[in-house]
Amino acid sequence: MLRNRRKLLHRATPALLLAPGLLLFLVVIVFSALRTFWISLHVWDGFGDMAWAGLANYVELWGDPQFWVSLRNNVIWLVVFLLAPPLGLAIALLVNQKIRSMRLAKSLFFMPLVLSTVTVGVIFVWFYDPTYGLLALIFDAFGGTAPAVLSSDTWVTLAVVFAALWPQVAFCMVLFLAGLNNLDEEIIGAGRVDNARGWQMLRHVVLPQLRQVAFIAVAISMIGALRSFDIIAVMTSGGPFGSSTNLAYQMYEESLFSYRFGYGAALATVLFAIMMVFIVWYLIRLLRDERGA
Amino acid sequence: MYPRQIPESRPASRLLYATGVWAVLLLWLMPVFAIILTAFRTFEDVMAGNYWGWPTEINFWGNLTAVFTQTDMLDYFVNSLIITIPSTVLVLVLSTMTGYVLSRHRFPGATLLFSVFIAGNFLPQQVFMIPVRDLMVSLGLYDTFGALIIFHVAFQTGFATLFMRNFIAALPHELFQAARAEGASPWQILIQIVVPLVRPALAALAILLFTFIWNDYFWAIVLTQTDAVKPVTAGLANLRGEWVSSWNVVSAATLFVAIPPVVMFFLMQRHFVAGLTMGAVKG
Amino acid sequence: MTRLRLNRRRFLATSAAAGTACLGAPLYAQTRELVIISNRGNPDQRAALEALAKEFGTSAGVKVSVNNMDHEAHKTAIRNYLVASPPDINFWFSGERMQGFVERGLFSDITDLVEQNGWADVVPAMGATTVDGRIYGLPTAGLLWGLWYRQDVFDENGWTPPATAEDFFTFGETAKAAGMTPFSIGTKNMWPAAGWFDHMNLRINGLEHHKDLMAGRIAYTDASLMKVMEPWTELVNAGLFLENATSYAWEQAAATLAQKKAAMMDLAGFISYGFPEEDRGQLRFAPFPTYDAGMGRYEDFSVDSIHIPAGAKNPEVAREFLTYFYQPDTLWSYLEPDGNLPARTDIDVSGNHIMSESKKGLVGVDGTSQYYDRDTNPDVAQAGLKGFQEFMARPDRAERILADIERARARVYGAL
Repeated sequence: MLRNRRKLLHRATPALLLAPGLLLFLVVIVFSALRTFWISLHVWDGFGDMAWAGLANYVELWGDPQFWVSLRNNVIWLVVFLLAPPLGLAIALLVNQKIRSMRLAKSLFFMPLVLSTVTVGVIFVWFYDPTYGLLALIFDAFGGTAPAVLSSDTWVTLAVVFAALWPQVAFCMVLFLAGLNNLDEEIIGAGRVDNARGWQMLRHVVLPQLRQVAFIAVAISMIGALRSFDIIAVMTSGGPFGSSTNLAYQMYEESLFSYRFGYGAALATVLFAIMMVFIVWYLIRLLRDERGA
Repeated sequence: MYPRQIPESRPASRLLYATGVWAVLLLWLMPVFAIILTAFRTFEDVMAGNYWGWPTEINFWGNLTAVFTQTDMLDYFVNSLIITIPSTVLVLVLSTMTGYVLSRHRFPGATLLFSVFIAGNFLPQQVFMIPVRDLMVSLGLYDTFGALIIFHVAFQTGFATLFMRNFIAALPHELFQAARAEGASPWQILIQIVVPLVRPALAALAILLFTFIWNDYFWAIVLTQTDAVKPVTAGLANLRGEWVSSWNVVSAATLFVAIPPVVMFFLMQRHFVAGLTMGAVKG
Repeated sequence: MTRLRLNRRRFLATSAAAGTACLGAPLYAQTRELVIISNRGNPDQRAALEALAKEFGTSAGVKVSVNNMDHEAHKTAIRNYLVASPPDINFWFSGERMQGFVERGLFSDITDLVEQNGWADVVPAMGATTVDGRIYGLPTAGLLWGLWYRQDVFDENGWTPPATAEDFFTFGETAKAAGMTPFSIGTKNMWPAAGWFDHMNLRINGLEHHKDLMAGRIAYTDASLMKVMEPWTELVNAGLFLENATSYAWEQAAATLAQKKAAMMDLAGFISYGFPEEDRGQLRFAPFPTYDAGMGRYEDFSVDSIHIPAGAKNPEVAREFLTYFYQPDTLWSYLEPDGNLPARTDIDVSGNHIMSESKKGLVGVDGTSQYYDRDTNPDVAQAGLKGFQEFMARPDRAERILADIERARARVYGAL
């Protein structure tokens, strides 16, 4: 009897452990997300009555040139943000030494992630300023004229992503620092015995063990690339003339400036669909990997 | 440990290495120096476009005083602690539990549940502004710490579950088999085996969660309205004007607001050592 | 939304009932409270408001709490708090931005309060807070837009501000010959370009046309709009504006004026923030040049205002506060730190240089609009702001840009 009860408890434990987190997440996040999809089928200004619109928002989206600009820029964001995991790993490797001053150095490498995005954005705007900016000063020193990158519809997105990359690298560094300290010493030791060194060691011994962390770092960088909007708001307001928007920013603008919540929600749904591609890819890779192991 | 440690017996190499790292760091922190420099400027200096030169007049104390007199920065600071600390702790607890179950127990729908956590994580926040606000209003929590804490815990649980699940999945199988063979209950396995082993992950996660929640401003606008419950980011925003912002004061405030997460990182670092424990358990 | 408000009310009622049951007496009814939400960013003005609130609190025996939000965040927040949990007093803008809330019944009608105090006689801008003959807020101050310049620079060069469309070009050439940018403008935040459009349209097509356009009654593809874009194109092509304008916020653009690298700039009184204290006395206001001698003088005059939300919990105290706040002395002490022109004409502003310049500029004005993004629907405004920013960088795209804005207009106001 007692044994049975204990067994039952053992069986139930996983469910009990899962329940609180799952419930909270379902009620607050999933429920709200579903409502977002529902909103996307309406015309709504955020606080009156919703008017049913069917798929009209999606149809409009298809014909909206701004949407295609945002989509193109999101590709740039994704590509550049893929630099964050390797750079973060490089810094993590650099500072993962038991030398006294490294503790402080690590904390300082982490700093970009902590600073308010608004302030970071402003500093980067000042960096690019064609009259008073550091870039302009450097060009002046060599007798050149600095390009006004934030006024150029070709370069503006790269200039903004570059600023956004900075904290993202710090983010990845933290992940890899945790990963590097979860390595199996025995395998490392074995690698050393086999005389594996430097690059080889990293590729064949260390990286396979960091795979889980690398997965997180890549996923988080993708999410960051698709979700960032505040630095755009600070640096360019999506300009010049809408050439630096991404989907998240466009949604922010449509919902909060133009008060078109239905249209904003449609954008969100499309953004989510794009993300689904990554999620599915991610899950397949992850599960296959684990089965293999 | 990887990379190979420079042995203590070679102090010269260690010094050289450290110097190299600090040189990289100097480059890395260029924008931070710009913020520091700005925090030393006068308003006129910034308005005149002197962003990169030496301040024409050192005004650090003036700016720092302004941070605390122009807005109730200390009150907001305390509010932020009240919001951030419980949220972080709760997320850590919840996600360790969910991450453990999702990585170590096979049951139908496990993958689906996991993908729900990941998917929710990918959502851009501003789209569910209104549903979340309505939810908090109907719970009677609008404009309270509770609203912010509940939202942050729910939202961050997605990311944290992904994080913890992957770390726990990376632990060696034999460990769990051995424990089960000895008749340990799932609860015992979680507390006695998993938690000590994922300490570096928990530390890293704690740092990240603390930083994200600490830096949130968007939800503070959506879910609160009175100063008594607003976080420190609202204090920071208060320093910005309709037409013009005193970036010199904002910069000083930015540095002040950044202190807790950096200190947190500094303190949490000592948990970044686990290789030893792992070997010990296995042996 | 009503459902939610009811829920909230019910929640409050329940908790109040519970409180009563516990304590045996409704304690909360004995202390009078007032909750204010302000969006003032200028620290001195914020301090002034807190001081006023405190004084009012002591004299009227009210517990006042002032909650401040930054200007941009407040635009988002107001849509949340007016619905979810309204304060007793809040600060906002008159005109279109107010009207949307009035139509949904979110602001209280205070017509009787205004009549009681005879405020309409001393506040010509009261029309800006009036919808269908009812008044929903008190105008606090206004921003008059026009071309600002430095008196010392003009004296040195023997210049006078351009008065007609032709002067634009002659003035532009002389300024350039003196090594200066004729007109500084920073369009990173988009609105400065739309402000320039307002001036041009008011000068060329007049106030009625402008109001109709803002209300969505004229298509952006209408021929009258090209009558504005063509001369504007000439200004851009003549190189009269600051280069790379989209890289700069107004502050950076104003710095060129302060440093005598530019001659004039289209802005309101807050331009003084861009000037060192000792140079502010040099600032002068000139109205935008005329295009049509027969046209009346119409200007952008943006009016800020103060309101009682419809769901205020202490409306009576809020009215008391407004009565106190709107006394000339009190209003002056609130406005003085910011330099916007008081809405009450019976306030003496001669002590403040920038206010006096604005006041002089207002003499002879035949009618006012507010500002592009304060006059038209937010959705159209966003399209227009973006469009005019693009136009100033790529004037050859005028027709496509107007077609883009027209799409937004048609979506909001319907086909014509």
